[in-house]
Amino acid sequence: MQALLRLTIANVRSFVRDRNALFWTFAFPVIFILLFGAIFSGGGSTTYRVGWVDQDGTAGSAQLRQAFASVPLLRLQDDSLSAARAAMQKGDVQGIVVVPRGYGAAVAGSAGAGYAGTGSAGATGPATGATGPAVRLELYTDPSQQTSSTTIRQVVAQVVASLNVALTGRTAILGVTDRALQTQDLTSAAFLVPGILGMALMQLGLFGAVPLVAQREKLILKRLGATPLPRWTLVGSNVVLRLLIGIGQAVLIMGIGVAAFGVTVLGSLWLMAGIVVLGALTFISIGYGIASFARTEEAANGIVQVIQFPMMFLSGVFFPLEIMPSVLRPVAAVLPLTYLGDALRQVMVGGSAYAPLPLDLGILAAWFVVCLGISARFFRWE
Amino acid sequence: MTIAPSASVIEVAGLRKHYGEVRAVDGVSFEVRRGEIFGLLGPNGAGKTTTVEILEGLRTPDAGTVRVLGIDATRHPDRIKERIGIQLQTAALYPFLTVSEVLDLFRSFYARSRSTAWLLEALDLGERRHAQTRHLSGGQRQRLSVALALVNEPELVFLDEPTTGMDPQARRSLWDLVLRLREQGTSVLLTTHYMEEAEQLCDRVAVMDHGHVLELGTVEELVTRRFHERAVHFDTLPGLDMAELGALPKVKRAVIEDGETVLYTSDVAATIAALLARTEVLGRDPTNLGIRRATLEDVFLDLTGHALRE
Repeated sequence: MQALLRLTIANVRSFVRDRNALFWTFAFPVIFILLFGAIFSGGGSTTYRVGWVDQDGTAGSAQLRQAFASVPLLRLQDDSLSAARAAMQKGDVQGIVVVPRGYGAAVAGSAGAGYAGTGSAGATGPATGATGPAVRLELYTDPSQQTSSTTIRQVVAQVVASLNVALTGRTAILGVTDRALQTQDLTSAAFLVPGILGMALMQLGLFGAVPLVAQREKLILKRLGATPLPRWTLVGSNVVLRLLIGIGQAVLIMGIGVAAFGVTVLGSLWLMAGIVVLGALTFISIGYGIASFARTEEAANGIVQVIQFPMMFLSGVFFPLEIMPSVLRPVAAVLPLTYLGDALRQVMVGGSAYAPLPLDLGILAAWFVVCLGISARFFRWE
Repeated sequence: MTIAPSASVIEVAGLRKHYGEVRAVDGVSFEVRRGEIFGLLGPNGAGKTTTVEILEGLRTPDAGTVRVLGIDATRHPDRIKERIGIQLQTAALYPFLTVSEVLDLFRSFYARSRSTAWLLEALDLGERRHAQTRHLSGGQRQRLSVALALVNEPELVFLDEPTTGMDPQARRSLWDLVLRLREQGTSVLLTTHYMEEAEQLCDRVAVMDHGHVLELGTVEELVTRRFHERAVHFDTLPGLDMAELGALPKVKRAVIEDGETVLYTSDVAATIAALLARTEVLGRDPTNLGIRRATLEDVFLDLTGHALRE
């Protein structure tokens, strides 16, 4: 254990002193996020486009639309619910307001009741506090898009509050039901950040093959093998180092997502940490698998590049798998990064699932076990 | 073998290791006595490295018995690792760690260890203790690799061409260190390219080629066993052909080595007289004329047909 600790400290020291390695593991993914984030988010807009779905189609709903349209922050876009949802997922609108069928009648009825009720604090009538508002608007926002969702919800709440006063004088006839809708639009940092984290973990593990092969080539593994040090200690300290780096990358990348792009981390941090560790282990074992077959440092580097570059683009890191050509989808369906990105996205920002979370984790674990077996069988120390 | 186990640190008998068609080691037997500096000489590909790696427990032989410090090195390699020291020709281990840090790291691998201060002093690395190993010169790196072989105060040290890349002064001081280790009772198995090194340090040497031990004994034994004659040498003169020189009185053999003509003779006076008579006819004096006993280098050339340093 003493040796494992010393060896891990030595590995950490070596890593921290190697500016080249530091740059590629930490600065590179950060640059990626900043670059893609800046390109896609296109500056802070001062107005928000909101899909307007009028399922009522009465004079009352038209009045309501007017009330919302008069708010300078909002620009309404009439649509059916399905079209509006699609538009929101693409990022064309940032929220949707749905006016349900029966809105006009409810408002007209309640208004009458309110006036008729002589102001006695609403013990009768459908609009009392006890039974809740007579009619509810549905409001879709994307909670991971902190700025837009908060603003839209506040604006809608204000409009509704003032309408309630105007309509009834005091009772809340109109309410709002909040609905979350995860956008998968290209402009979304919330989509990008978990993907970049997955990419960073993938590269961390795969590129681990290169120094490993270099150490074998330079007989360093042989020299260490000539000491009484058990081999599991050597492997263990190497894996511990990479896990520490992976956790550091996760903290950094999530931190930038939150600080620079207003991404809200929704899921449990413990679950996140678990997925980060599983993902890192999976790709570390793939790295060892590559190191089992590559004879030279150059060969290892070449193999890693050939694997990591397509994987980066075919695993839905930068764009949703839904927009990928159908011929490439079966490829995405077997790549481990697809499932790591999906798991991170689901847990971190509540993204819509490509696969159920247990399946994501199961496939990652399967890759881990298979590559571990291959490495145990074929890895050579010299 | 009649020697008691305690008297020898290495006993090898009938060692064999083949890689496909290549017989890297083909029936090697020798023993190294406790407190002895034993040299293993041979050209590249002679089988030295394979032999040494089997002794170190890093490889398993196809056949033969290997006892290191009384332990079967094939069956229990882990039991000998604690008690032996190994110096390998490796590039910088941990290029971003300092000399002290690497020494401390290796000390933590062993139950018993020498102090870092002792190691720094012995290998004259004190001034570079805070330097990262990637900034060391070739010779300093070499000294560090020797220091790592001594970390665990080993009973038996394997040195693999330890002075390669060292300047003459560093080489001398390493030789002193090796001799000091012997005084303290440490046994050393040394492979080397430098004949002078083997002559200075080794109590006994084995010359290997093509997987066999060709000759084994003290340097003196090896030389006199093969060469009763002495060597008359001088800068090669144009106009003297080798057949002519070989026919001079008492000359057994005439060769050219590094621009120098060497005549092996059983009667130095007769040979020199005849040589000078011949060169006078040519109207030139042989320059750098000298006489020497045959050296280990000569033995080596004679045994393997090529110079050791290739």
